[in-house]
Parts: sequence; structure tokens; C-alpha cells
Amino acid sequence: MRPRGPDAGTNQMEMATSDEQMVERALSGDPEAFGEIVRRWERRIFALAFGMLGREEDARDATQETFLAAFRNLRGFRGEAKVSSWLHRIAVNQCITRQRRAKVRGETALEDEAEKNAAVFALPLDVSPARTAEKVERSAAVRRAVCALPGDLRQVVVMKEFEELTFQEISEALELPLSTVKSRLYTALRQLQMRLQKFGE
Amino acid sequence: MRNMDERPVCHRAEDLVTYLYGEASEVDSRDFADHLQQCDACRVEFGIFQQVHDSILVWRNEALGSTFSPAAVVSETAVDSAQFVRHKRNLSALEALREFFSVSPLWLRAATACAALLLCVLGVLAISRTWNKPVQVANRTEESKYSKEQFDLAVKKQVDDELAQRTIRQTPPTVVEGPAPDKSTDRRFKVAVNRVQPKTQRPRGLSRQEREQLAADLRLIPRDDDELPFGLSDEPDQ
Repeated sequence: MRPRGPDAGTNQMEMATSDEQMVERALSGDPEAFGEIVRRWERRIFALAFGMLGREEDARDATQETFLAAFRNLRGFRGEAKVSSWLHRIAVNQCITRQRRAKVRGETALEDEAEKNAAVFALPLDVSPARTAEKVERSAAVRRAVCALPGDLRQVVVMKEFEELTFQEISEALELPLSTVKSRLYTALRQLQMRLQKFGE
Repeated sequence: MRNMDERPVCHRAEDLVTYLYGEASEVDSRDFADHLQQCDACRVEFGIFQQVHDSILVWRNEALGSTFSPAAVVSETAVDSAQFVRHKRNLSALEALREFFSVSPLWLRAATACAALLLCVLGVLAISRTWNKPVQVANRTEESKYSKEQFDLAVKKQVDDELAQRTIRQTPPTVVEGPAPDKSTDRRFKVAVNRVQPKTQRPRGLSRQEREQLAADLRLIPRDDDELPFGLSDEPDQ
């Protein structure tokens, strides 16, 4: 596991200041400024959306919708929070909305199967079929386990594993005490272990 | 993996996840590593959580590519920000220089002005020297260079003079003296080419022996006209 240095937070601070300047410039009519914000944060927001939704296509759509919503509500950003936290909240809301819609339409089971097939074809040919099937099954199980977590736990897992944020950064983004973030992650890991154990049996 | 309900729970759960993700301080890491040696519950849980973490990473890397890392994006963006800041500093360099001189003492300003003046003078001198050099070289080269036509003309004139002298003497010379210095002709052209002697201008034909002797006296140069030497000696060899 990769230990994170103490300067990661410093970089975040430096970046946050620049992001705020970018938002100010975008508000004053600079057309390039918002593009710069998108460029800086699109990969991280995509990772978050992918962790939350579990599908690449959905994650792309959610990322696009997140930045669109951010642009529309640019004046709503008052500089009280970091730009990253603000974008993060918008992205989480977008993901939750999409999940609700998908649940209403009953798309999950059908898309699971289609995605599994796509994953099998995407793997290299020199891998044995048995190994390929096992890997795909394992990844699908992890995805299902993460997506089945309660929203508050899933959010912490995704921020830790996909966005690679520190506990302090997660705490600031979610405006939660540090101990709450750690206990949520601990609970989430225990639940994931239980679900994956079922898959192993 | 064991069922989580069967596992005992340690009160240091938060320390466990902090240690698992490498965010504990050096002292806390050492402390928790000691705890892991003693606490079975934490040791078992640590192993299981590592497996879960690895499984999530495998899924993430399969889906997003093994090179994907949001942390790399952050550092890249931080570098971009630093470059952006540096760029801004570059733009205000002139302003910074002005500010520096405005706060510097008088002697420093005077010294800087003198140094700048001296640098300008040295620069002008260097430029003028490099400007003149090629001209001098060109003059010298021009001095020692002659065109083929000039050379042929000089040779022809020399041969004519020689023949004219012999005609006046009316005696077949056995030994031909070196040509008399002619002020109108460059002395460096005291050579002749036997084969370029114009036969039509000779009042009478020379014998073979005479021609050979003349050639020897005039110290024939190589027959290849393209490789004519320059800067010949003033005194002809006997």
C-alpha cells in the first residue's frame, strides 16, 4: 500500500487557491477559466463516478452532467468550501440521481450481463478461458459488493480507493469528523469482506 | 476468509485503517506494529482488509487502466499550478527589477550604471574588431591572386621579349641569360611555358636544342595550367 506523504495536503491547498482564482475568472467572463477547472478535475470526478456507478458509460455521463451542473451553478459557489469539495458534492448527487433512475427502469440485471460479456472480450487472448472467466467474475463481484454498500459507506470507500484522498481530505470534503470517516471505512471494509466471502464460497 | 461475525473486534479499529492506508505517523506506525504482534483480532483483520483493498484495486485497474491514478493527476495539476505561478513571475520581471533598483543604495546604482557602460564599450569594440578582420584577410588574398588570363598574358610577353632579344643578337644562344627585369611586368612571372609559345610570332624557328635550353633556363613550370604556382621567387635559378 502506498503511504502518502504529508505534502499531499499542501498540494491540495495550493491547488484549491488556484481553483478559486479560476472560478473568479470564469465568473468575470473568462471563457478559458472553466475549461481549466474541467481539465484539472475531470479524471478525479470520473474515478468517483465510476466507483459510485460501476460502469464506464454511466461514469462518463455523470462526469459530463457534473461539470454542466457546476457551470450552471457557478454563481452558487461562494468560496466557503474548496472547489474540489463543491464538485465532489455535485458529482455524488448526479450519481445518486442516476442510480435511482436505473433502479426505477430495472436496468441493473440486464446491464450486468452485457458488461460481463464485454469484459470477457476485452481481456487479452493469451489468458486461458478459465482464468479469464475467474478474473471477470471476481471483478464483477467486487463491483457488485461496492455498489451494494449503503451510500454513506460507499462514498468513503470510493473517495479512499478511487480518488486516493487522505482521511483528512475526505473529512474536509464531507464535513465529517476524522474519526467518523475512519469508522465508516472500517465498517465498509468489513461489509465488503462479508460480501466477497459469499462470492468465494 | 472468515466470517466477520465470528471475529473478535479490537477497540483500535480506527488505528487499524489508518495504519492500513499508510497514514499513521512514524511513532504511531511503530506502536501499532507492536500491537499487531500481540493482538490476534487486529492481525487477522489487517490481512483480510489488505485482500479487500487489493481486490478493489484490481477491479479499478482493469476498468480504468493500470496507469490510472488520481494522485498522479493531482501532482500533475500541482506542477501546472506552479508553472502558472512561475509564468506570472516572469511577466513581472521588469517590474521586479525596477523595484530592486528603487530600494538599492546610490553606490549600487552608480556601480551598475558604470558596469553597463563598460559592457557596452567592450561590446562595441568586439563587434568592430570582428567586422574589420575579414576585410584585411580579403585584401591579402586578393594581392596574391592572379587570374589565368593575367598569367598567360605575362608568360606570353616574357617569351616574346626573350625571342626579340635573340633576334637582335642574331646569334643562336647556347646559354640564355635570365630575362632582364621589366618594370612593366610583374617580376613574379619570370616563368614560361614552352608549349604555349606562339610559333607564328617567331621571326625564325628555334632548333630543338635551343628550345630545350630556353625551357631549362626559364625553369619551366608544370604543364598543368590549372595548378600554376603563385608567389614565385624573384631570383631565377641558374
